[in-house]
Amino acid sequence: MIKIENLSVAFDGTEVVKNVNLEITDGEILGIVGESGSGKSVTALTLMGLVSETAEVTSGRIVVDDCVLREAGKPVDKKLYRTMQGDNMSMIFQEPMTSLNPTQKVGKQVGEMLKLHTVLTKEEIKAKVLETFEAVGLRNPELVYNCYPHQLSGGMRQRVMIAMAVILHPDLVVADEPTTALDVSIQNQIVALLKDINTKENNSMIFITHDLNLARRICDRVAVMKDGRIVELGATEDIFLRPQESYTKNLMEAVPSRLKRRVSAMKNADNKEPIVQVKDLSVFYEDRGSNPFAKKVRKCIVKNATFDIYKGESLGLVGESGCGKTTLSKAILGMNMITTGEVIQTTVRPQMIFQDPYSSLNPSKTIGWLLQEPLRARGILDPSQKMTKADMEAAAYEMLKRVGLEEKYFTRKPSQLSGGQRQRISIGQALITRPGLIVADEPVSALDVTVQAQIMELMQNLQQEMELSYLFISHDINVVYKMCDRIMVMKEGQILEIGETEEIFAHPQNEYTQTLFRDSL
Amino acid sequence: MKKSSIWKNKYLLIGLFMTGLCLLLGILGLFWTPYEPTKISAAERFVGPSLKHLFGTDNFGRDIFSRVMKGLSATIVIGTSVVLFSATMGILLGALTGYFGGIVDEIVMRITDALNGFPSILLALVLISIFGNGKQNVILALGLVFIPSYVRIVRSEFIRLRDADFIKRARLMGVSKVRILFVHILPNIFSVFWVSVMIGFNNAILAESGMSYLGIGVQPPDASLGKMLSDAQGYLQRAPWFALSSGLTIVWLVLGFALLSEGVQRMNNN
Repeated sequence: MIKIENLSVAFDGTEVVKNVNLEITDGEILGIVGESGSGKSVTALTLMGLVSETAEVTSGRIVVDDCVLREAGKPVDKKLYRTMQGDNMSMIFQEPMTSLNPTQKVGKQVGEMLKLHTVLTKEEIKAKVLETFEAVGLRNPELVYNCYPHQLSGGMRQRVMIAMAVILHPDLVVADEPTTALDVSIQNQIVALLKDINTKENNSMIFITHDLNLARRICDRVAVMKDGRIVELGATEDIFLRPQESYTKNLMEAVPSRLKRRVSAMKNADNKEPIVQVKDLSVFYEDRGSNPFAKKVRKCIVKNATFDIYKGESLGLVGESGCGKTTLSKAILGMNMITTGEVIQTTVRPQMIFQDPYSSLNPSKTIGWLLQEPLRARGILDPSQKMTKADMEAAAYEMLKRVGLEEKYFTRKPSQLSGGQRQRISIGQALITRPGLIVADEPVSALDVTVQAQIMELMQNLQQEMELSYLFISHDINVVYKMCDRIMVMKEGQILEIGETEEIFAHPQNEYTQTLFRDSL
Repeated sequence: MKKSSIWKNKYLLIGLFMTGLCLLLGILGLFWTPYEPTKISAAERFVGPSLKHLFGTDNFGRDIFSRVMKGLSATIVIGTSVVLFSATMGILLGALTGYFGGIVDEIVMRITDALNGFPSILLALVLISIFGNGKQNVILALGLVFIPSYVRIVRSEFIRLRDADFIKRARLMGVSKVRILFVHILPNIFSVFWVSVMIGFNNAILAESGMSYLGIGVQPPDASLGKMLSDAQGYLQRAPWFALSSGLTIVWLVLGFALLSEGVQRMNNN
């Protein structure tokens, strides 16, 4: 049993974890949910003794099985932690690529745990590693044993990480966003595996996530954190169905879910005027590989895509990473070189919104400059549309208001804005020339739940006001459900299915679509 | 950038002071010196430092302080011209090769690799022997020699930024390639670029002094710090201030710029 009593942690005098009380009993999965900066990771890292040296425990203590692991005002007992880490508790991180040593075979890395904590012989260690690999669902463990991390897929790497975390049968496993970097269907397998391990080993698990739907699926109890405090703690279904605190209520409200009714932002659903017609489009990449003298090899990324995007609608595009979603969208925007088939555009210069708000705005410019740049570019391309300086400035101010930001941001630089604010500027920048079609590539995936809800609302409002069409790419089925009027499912470069949102969710025809939707519930 | 953190940045402050003093003397030296720097006076040979002659006089009775001022202005003019020339070429070539890549990139990079293979002074010597002596030729030779270092830095920054989301979006807006290169990408590399410019300035100063020392840089009777140092060599025991004044000035200037670039780097990191 693990007890965190009145724990506060500070960095440079600022408390990021404030008076946290948590108790984890055997066999339980405790979820810690909250938005970025809420202190959930710092809490877990402090528990594990992995928090950076600059962090200071200012109050409270951590007790594991009646043994005081850490107490405010006392130095860290590194020796005690070393025996605890691995044997009694272990951790799974978000990014399996950076958590594994790229220069060592994964089998050896997992075996290292046994070498340090047990007295097994070489042969016994290998046998045990293979056995654990098998247990975490790695088919062909012998082969995996001799692989380097880069030779494995993301899902397999995460399984290796899990194997490393459970090989010593610890009493506590802390999983910090273990599935965030993975595809939906893989995500599901990993969650199932973690739950399975939990039941078999009867150990405790702390599951940290920003994805509330995921927490609901796996956790027995959930703690909601905000600004370093635990706002609410209770049984999962209680928290989700009967939240007590106003913050939790807002949070639950913001979670996109298929169980909530969908409101379409499409103005006239009956008038179907195509704004883009894609006919039999195939997209290729040419690659020489690493040999500059080799003949280029042509690879087909998108195969024979045919569909329309109507005026004022949102068309969702779902599929796993590498299925050709982004390539297809780039082809529609005219960014790919080698295509066959036809794309008929009725809009001028459709624009794109990217996932990462931190890299989609030029860091050396002011917000005002950024908002005016599309107008300047248009003026240079087509002198008849040239605007005066004052007109452009006025248009930029107007757009700033439209995307819900105050005038004072006009002279600021992107680095002074939050992620959500930056994404608003990206949207404003895309819309200022009134392009008619916006390709949004995972526009809300990098944002916190409440910010995500705000951005989606903004996008829907603007869609109604300006009669925009969106091609909305996302891996998050619930977000797509909320935003889109029609949904298109892609796999391995082919469009498997396309249809009205309600229809396709109620009666998915394709087997792949069925599993995709089931996995995301 | 907060005011208080500039005051805390000791590297920046000391660097600014040291280079500022040199620049001031050098620029002043273009128009005015306490004595005529080439005026020979047989009566005043090897006079030690005094209030009348701050750094003393040399073997021809010329005022060393005036000559140091003249030498500084020559050094600064040459250093600045070399940096301007090589940095501009470096930006142009680096931007084009980094952004577009392909066969031009391969060719330019192999040429810069070849240039990098020679020690820079040696290469400058070869060029001088082709172009002939003189200030302009020193600038040209050193300018050419220092281009590759800038090309490398600019190129790698352009490669890093050419596929950034904000550049993709600029392309979608229909921004022209030239505008993307010089308005959208270039301002983002300045923080890295300034540091290399300052280091480059230092290298140019050292190279110029070295060449003048060897007698192929600035030609007499014009004053030059390197040439003064080589002249002073014969009188190290009789008139140590002669060598010290020119030598320490070079050290002072180079150290100042090194501190300045370190200070700028620290400022960028914060």
